[in-house]
Formats: sequence, structure tokens, C-alpha cells
Amino acid sequence: MPTVTIDGRPLEVEAGTNLIDAAQRIGVQIPHYCYHPRLSVVGQCRMCLVEVEGTPKLQAGCSTQVTKDGMVVRTDTSEVREAQKGMMEFFLINHPLDCPICDQAGECGLQDYAFKHGQAYSRFEYEDKRIYPGRERIPLGPNVLLNMNRCIQCTRCIRFTEEIAGTGELGFFNRGARTEIGTFPGKPLDNPLATNVVDICPVGALTSTRFRFAERVWYLDKRPSLCTGCDVGCNVTVEHRRGRIRRYKPRFNPEVNDYWMCDYGRGTFERYETLPRLAAPRLRAAAPEGNGGGPAPGVSAPASWGKALDAVAERLRAGGKAAVLGSGNLTTEEAFLFAELARAAGVASLPLVATEGPARTIPNLHGGITGRERHPNRRGAELAGFGGGEGPSADDLMFGDAAAGLDVLVVADSDLGPAAHDEEAVARLRRAGFLVVFGWADTPLARAADVALPVATHAEKDGTFVNVERRLQRFEQAFPPPGQVRPAVEVLAELLAKLDGESWAGVGTAAAFARLAEARPELAGLDFDELPPTGAPLPGFDDHDETMEKRAPASPAGRDGEDQGV
Amino acid sequence: MAYEKVLTRNVGRPAARTVAGYKKAGGYAGLAAALKMQPEEVVEEVKKSGLRGRGGAGFPAGMKWGFIPKDHDGPKYLVCNADESEPGTFKDRLLMEHEPQQLIEGCVICCYAVGAATCYVYIRGEYTAANAIMEEAIRDAYDAGVLGDSVMGSGFSLDMYMHVGAGAYICGEETGMLESLEGKRGQPRVKPPFPALVGAFGAPTVINNVETLANVPHIVERGADWFKAIGTDERNTGPKLYAISGHVERPGTYEYPIGVPFRTLLDGCGGMWRGRQLKAYIPGGASAAILPGEEHLDLPMDFDAIAKAGSMLGSAAVMVMDETTCMVRSVARLAKFFNHESCGQCTPCREGTNWMELLLTRIEQGQGREQDASLLSNICTHVAGNSLCALGDAAVGPVKSLVETYSGEIEAHVREGGCPFPPIRVFGNGNGGPQDSVHGAAGEAAG
Repeated sequence: MPTVTIDGRPLEVEAGTNLIDAAQRIGVQIPHYCYHPRLSVVGQCRMCLVEVEGTPKLQAGCSTQVTKDGMVVRTDTSEVREAQKGMMEFFLINHPLDCPICDQAGECGLQDYAFKHGQAYSRFEYEDKRIYPGRERIPLGPNVLLNMNRCIQCTRCIRFTEEIAGTGELGFFNRGARTEIGTFPGKPLDNPLATNVVDICPVGALTSTRFRFAERVWYLDKRPSLCTGCDVGCNVTVEHRRGRIRRYKPRFNPEVNDYWMCDYGRGTFERYETLPRLAAPRLRAAAPEGNGGGPAPGVSAPASWGKALDAVAERLRAGGKAAVLGSGNLTTEEAFLFAELARAAGVASLPLVATEGPARTIPNLHGGITGRERHPNRRGAELAGFGGGEGPSADDLMFGDAAAGLDVLVVADSDLGPAAHDEEAVARLRRAGFLVVFGWADTPLARAADVALPVATHAEKDGTFVNVERRLQRFEQAFPPPGQVRPAVEVLAELLAKLDGESWAGVGTAAAFARLAEARPELAGLDFDELPPTGAPLPGFDDHDETMEKRAPASPAGRDGEDQGV
Repeated sequence: MAYEKVLTRNVGRPAARTVAGYKKAGGYAGLAAALKMQPEEVVEEVKKSGLRGRGGAGFPAGMKWGFIPKDHDGPKYLVCNADESEPGTFKDRLLMEHEPQQLIEGCVICCYAVGAATCYVYIRGEYTAANAIMEEAIRDAYDAGVLGDSVMGSGFSLDMYMHVGAGAYICGEETGMLESLEGKRGQPRVKPPFPALVGAFGAPTVINNVETLANVPHIVERGADWFKAIGTDERNTGPKLYAISGHVERPGTYEYPIGVPFRTLLDGCGGMWRGRQLKAYIPGGASAAILPGEEHLDLPMDFDAIAKAGSMLGSAAVMVMDETTCMVRSVARLAKFFNHESCGQCTPCREGTNWMELLLTRIEQGQGREQDASLLSNICTHVAGNSLCALGDAAVGPVKSLVETYSGEIEAHVREGGCPFPPIRVFGNGNGGPQDSVHGAAGEAAG
């Protein structure tokens, strides 16, 4: 591998690495707007100019590759700084500088670089700024709005639709200082990945209709999490203000979603806003003797956690026919604790709700991942023991009359699928002698329960999901659950302590994972706190080696081959 | 010794537009000679001749041909750059309108030398007459067996196509031209890779200017030594067309040995218009720095001498200005051109050319400020050398020379709150201005 010296520090990189990437590795940031590691290199913004020994002119860091030994690069000379200052001035002379009303303010490439590389005054005093009349809020498609006055013509959005989404809705129109971004007639920006152009837009030219004006970004707290929209398991950042999620943004994971996520996934948190919240434990006063299949006449009323859990423990201890109905929305750890609860109560039936959904594909360098299920963690729940065994299946319970034969039915997820919102299905499940429902949403199913237990949303807890490729990924708690709501793991540990002994007291997610890992060879050697940041492929992992070869990476290194210019 | 014209022998002889007529005048001897040589020998001969690109950059043509990989598996292309769009440049038009077979012959020889089986002539959209003549000439060349299967019975086959541009100056930039040729938006590519390796449709491609290729048949026919004997020195060889415009009596395209003194050019086109005083001239098209006339009267008009004088030969479009010319106004007009033609993809060119035009217009209109000259100069520094392609540098050329050489005129505009020169006179409407004179084709022989 050739050696390049950047700002006096030698470093070995693969031949073909560009200077921006090479410098990044030793912590040197070369400013840039148009360069993106997954998009073709166009060298347009000219912000990344650096000095390369032996060349008379400054060179663009994005399009200059380390090809042979001995290249000497300087990113901090007075010439470089002067060029950066000049470029910043060029960007800003025609920029509206409307930061106070711009959604991008606070996460704006122009603000950041103007502060770092620009100057605090303008020499563009007597000329009028270029404006694009009537082009201040153009809907490019249902999810993206364009304000052309703010655009710096970096063409990242155009290249994204051409090279990543493969849809090519966007183009460059006109010429020179009048150049603008736009859609082609009759072809709106309406592909499943469209909102990614908002993320990669360095300025406030492209804004998301979903997030636009929802919050000033500096009020947002950000935590690493996973999308729950399907079983791809896109890595996301949950951005919230005091427990109210404002948006998901894709979080880089080259093995899963790369830099991207789909528009559907971005909207999944809205379910936390639209469904009513189960805020406190609820207990039905007293079940009448000899339940004949009709709904229990008792009134469901708020109760303390202690009373509610005592009631559950008592019914489970009583024995009889019982089942625990799981869902792919559970974390692997929750699923494990539910399975343990079943074991402790002598319940052998662990049916699992898994629903197929539309295929959702996220591109990455390995040929992409396609999710086909509505739940993020069917595989994790199965790993923990759900879905197999004896007794009725989930469909028997929801769509047949299997529940009528049960003395106790524990539903692990009040929002396990359409059945939770369907009167008839709820009535069928209600035929069980005693119905316990865990969940964050106060669904018809939760309202029918004898005991309803309010537990955390995925943003309010930590845990792991196993995605469609059998990759185990961990997510963190973004914010604590509100009021009386508790993470399910905590609730289950308390129940287990009552039923199975004190060793369960205080068991958290990490400890639950450790106990599961002892039991399951697939998880051998894995430590909850030490999981790799890109996730751990489990045995049977479905990697995409074949597709990987078929599809050349859109990385800068792949651009210099025959593909370029064709 | 009188200079015998090489490139413009058939100007004014429509009969020579056909293969038969051209052959009668001695044409296609170069191609016949080339087909008897090995391709590498042709490349060598062109290298030896010292022929430098006539499009503006002056890159040695033979060396360019030599960059084309010999063992390339797949198609190679020749793209002839006929997108002559720089203000003041109209030499290629003359060659295509009057000497189409000479250009075809040059293209065929080049394709033979580099092993290309397809040649595109990318012609400026406004050149409708030249395009029609070229189309006709190509048809005739196919009929005569000069193009198509087995050129002149040699077994070497070549197809040639005219491709009409849509009026963008930037498509004269070679990679912008390739993008446009491929049907995309005409904007330059990042280099490397250079077209010699990854050019049209991803294949190795030679891109040569019309005049460059027109020289080739004569080099092959008469030899590199003959060619080298014309011109000033080893680095500046061969015949050259000069497109002369502005305040001269007979503007037009004139052929001289390269390196002829400016004074000879001026005399050749009848001197200054109405006997006025020479103030300045632009030696090489809109992107060249303006040279003060009197001090550079005897400047040899070749690549190196003009570069030494701080400007460039460029496309050899010579624009002559008399003492009534306002430099601020002239440069503002040039800045307007470059702003209009910037493709807009790279920041310094898109924003810099726009700002320069706004600033210069403001100064010309009397709203300039004292610090504007230094501001202009600073904008030039930020654009020059930093843009993606050469258009940024081109736009800076005249502006820089205005600031450096004619800063006094900027000051006068600022001081007087307006332009101290007479208002713009509308030429070309029958009032006796230079544009009314008969279009001078090839000028008097000299040398």
C-alpha cells in the first residue's frame, strides 16, 4: 500500500483512496460539500482544495487519489486557507442568509464552514443577490420541499437519485449562476428512499415535509437506536425533545443500511403519537365464576403495579391451560424473559405473531437488504423460544377459537398486529379465562384485558433485535418511559422473582441477554455491552456474497474504472 | 520569400468541396501517403512536425495521439472539436465552409494513426452553413471511397458523423463536449482520467481542433521537416490562421506562418479602421489577456512569445481596439459572456463569473468604488486555478489584465461617476462601421 504524507504525518492507505478519506483517517478534516463517500466524485464544490507537492495548482481532495508512494499533501497552508475563504465567500454572496427561518440552521454545512473557514463580513455589498422567484418552496414530491434560493448546487441530491435510488427524478436545469435543481416534467421525487436527499443536502435547500418546522435542531437530544418498521433493522438516531420523538435519521452502518433509510421507516415513530398510550396498570375488579365465553362483567380500573403483578402471579401459579402470545416487536431479551416466565409457570405454549409486509429494500455495498416483515424481531423472538412448541398457534388464537380453551392468556404486546385493533379478534382472545396484556399502546386488546401492564416503547428501553440476515443489533434507551410506564424487562424480572425465585430480582437487559446467551449456542461468547457497533452476525447468517460481486460498489474507488463516463 | 498558403488554398473555390475537385487541387495526397505508412510512423511524423493544438491550449498533437493505448480492446474514437464559440474566433468556420475535404482528410489520417474506426465532428449549433457543407462533403467522401469500408482500398474502415451542438460554449471544453456527445448535459468532467484513456462512451478518444486536423494531411504529404521550416522556432511550427476583428479596415481570417509579428497582421488587413490609433489588442480570443498595442506591435504571434508577454495565442482570435475603446466596457462585455456560458457546476466559476460581471457593469455605469479594483483582482485570485475546468481561468484572463494594465480607466470611471469614453456605436447597420466591409476570407500572402 502506498504511503501518503498529510500535514507532515505519514500514513499508509490503499491505492485509489482519495485525499478526503485518507485525511479523515488521521483526524484531518478536509472541508467538502459535494463529496459523499457513496456518490460519484464530481469535484464541483471546490471546497476541498489542498496542496499536493509537485503540482502547480491546488488540487481537489475528492478527485485526487493516492496512487503511488511519496505523495505529500498539505491541508493547512495559507494558499489552501485563502482558497477556502474564497470559496466560502462565493457560496455566501448569493445565499439568502435566512438562518433564523431556515430549518437547516444548527446543522448547516454553510454555517459550520463559514464559522471555520469564512470571514465575518461581506464584500458583496452593492450588488443584488441572485434569487429564483417562485422557487422558494417547490414540492419535489410528497416528502421533500425545495427552496432554490438556498441551494449551493452541490448535486448530491441528483446523484443520489441516479446512483443510489436508481430512479433519477432530479436534474440540473439551466446554466451558470442560474443553474437550478428540479424534477423532470411528470416525474415527482416519489421513491421509497426520497427523504435521504434531505439528509445529504448540506444546506437548507431540501427540507422534509415531515420534520419541517417541527423543532429547532439544537433542542433535539439524539440517541442511537434501530428502526422498527421492518426486519431490515436500519440503524437510526432517535432525535427527540423531552421524550417526544421528532424524527429518525439514518445512522451509518455499512453492513446494514449504510447511510440510508426508507421514507416509510422515518414515519414509524408517528405511531407513538397517534395511538393512545397505556399510562398506568389496569386491573379488572373480579372475574365472575364460570366464564362462559362472554366478556367479563367486571370494570377495569387503574391499579398499582404491585397489585397488578400480584394478580398475574397468582393466576399463573394457579396452573391450568395457559399460553404466552409473543410478537416480533419484543426485544430478544423480553422474549427470553417471557419464555422463562412461561417455563416457571409450567406453560409450554409460546405462539408468535409474525406478519408479512411489503418488501422494503435498503441499498448498501453488499447488494442491499430487503425486509419482508412488519416486525423488527421475529428472529430474536424465535431465538428466545417463541414460535415453536406445542399448543395453539397465533392464528388459532386470533382467528380461531383456541383462546376459549385457555385458563390464562398472556399477550406480550398490545400492538402485536391488526388483530389488536380488530373487535372480533379481540373478542376471540378475550375468551381466555384470564387475559393479561403487556404493551405501550392502549389498544382495544389492552382495554379487553383483565390485567393491562404499561411497558416502554422501543425508544424508552434498550435491547437487541435480530434482522432478516440474522444480524444481532443492539439499541439504546433514548429517554426514560413516562409516569408509571416501566420497561418490560424490569416488569418481567419482578414477576419471575415472584414465581421462580429471588435470583431474578433486578435482572436487567444485559443480564437477561447473558442468561439467554448461556442457553443458546448461537449467542455463545457475545456480551451485551460489547456487541460490535455494526452488529453481530449469528450462525446461519445470510450474507450477500453473491450479490456483492454482481453489484460494483458506488464507492469512489470503484469510480475510476470503466464505469466512469459511460 | 513569399509565403505560399497551405490551409486556405481552396478558399473561394466551391469546386474543391468535392473529393474530385479537392483531388484536382492536389488533395488526398497526404492520405494516400499515410495509408502506405505504418500507423505508428504517422504518429511519429506528426510528433516530429511539432504541430501544436490550434484550439487554444497548444498541446502537441502528436503527443496526444501517442497517449492512445495501442493494445486497447474495443472501440476508439476521434472527436473533432468544431464547437468554435469563443467571441472573435471564426477560423474553423472558414476551414469547414471552404476546405471540408481537407478536414475530412485530416480526420481520416488521424483515425488511421490511432486506430479509431469512428470519427465525430462536434460542430457549433449556430454553424448551420458549415454543417450543411460538411454533411455534403462527408456524403461525397463516402461515395468516393474516402470514408466507409476500406478507405481508398486500404482495408482500413472509418465512419464519420457530424454532431450538432446546441449553442453552449462549454461544449468546446473537451470533456464537456464528450458529455454532450453522449447525450448528457454539457458540463466538464473531473480529470483524470483524461479522454485519451476514458473519453467518448468510456473509450480512448483523441480530441483535436479543426485547424489542427487540417494541418495533418500537409505534414504527412510534405514531411515534418517542411512543416518545421514554417514558423518561428522548434516549438512554434507550421501555418496558422488568425481571425482578426475589431477596429481594422478588413476584418477576416488570414493565413500566415505561425509567429508572424502583430504589425504584419495589422498591415495585412488594411491597418486601423479609418486610420485611428491602436490602443490595445487581444491576441488569442476572449480569454486572453489584453495587450497594450504600441508596446506589442512587433510581438511574434506564436505560443511562447505571447505567453512571455503575459497573454496567450489561444485560438488566435485577434481583436483590435482603437483609442475610443473603453476597456472597462469591453471587459464587462467579455465577463458577461463568460457568466452566460459558465456551466454552473463548480463554485468559483459559477459565482465568480457572475460577480465579476455585476461588478464590472456597476463600475461601467458609474457606481464603482475605490476598492473595486482590488476586489476584482481578489476575485480573480479565487477563481483562477481553482475551477473544475479551464473556463474559470478563461474568464479571469481579460479581467486580470484590466486590473493590472488599465486600472487607470477603472479609477477614471469611479472618479467621474461614469464612463469617460464615447457611448457604444451600433455597427453593422450600414453606417460605415467595420462590420459593413466585405467579409475578408484569406488575406494577402505575406511572410
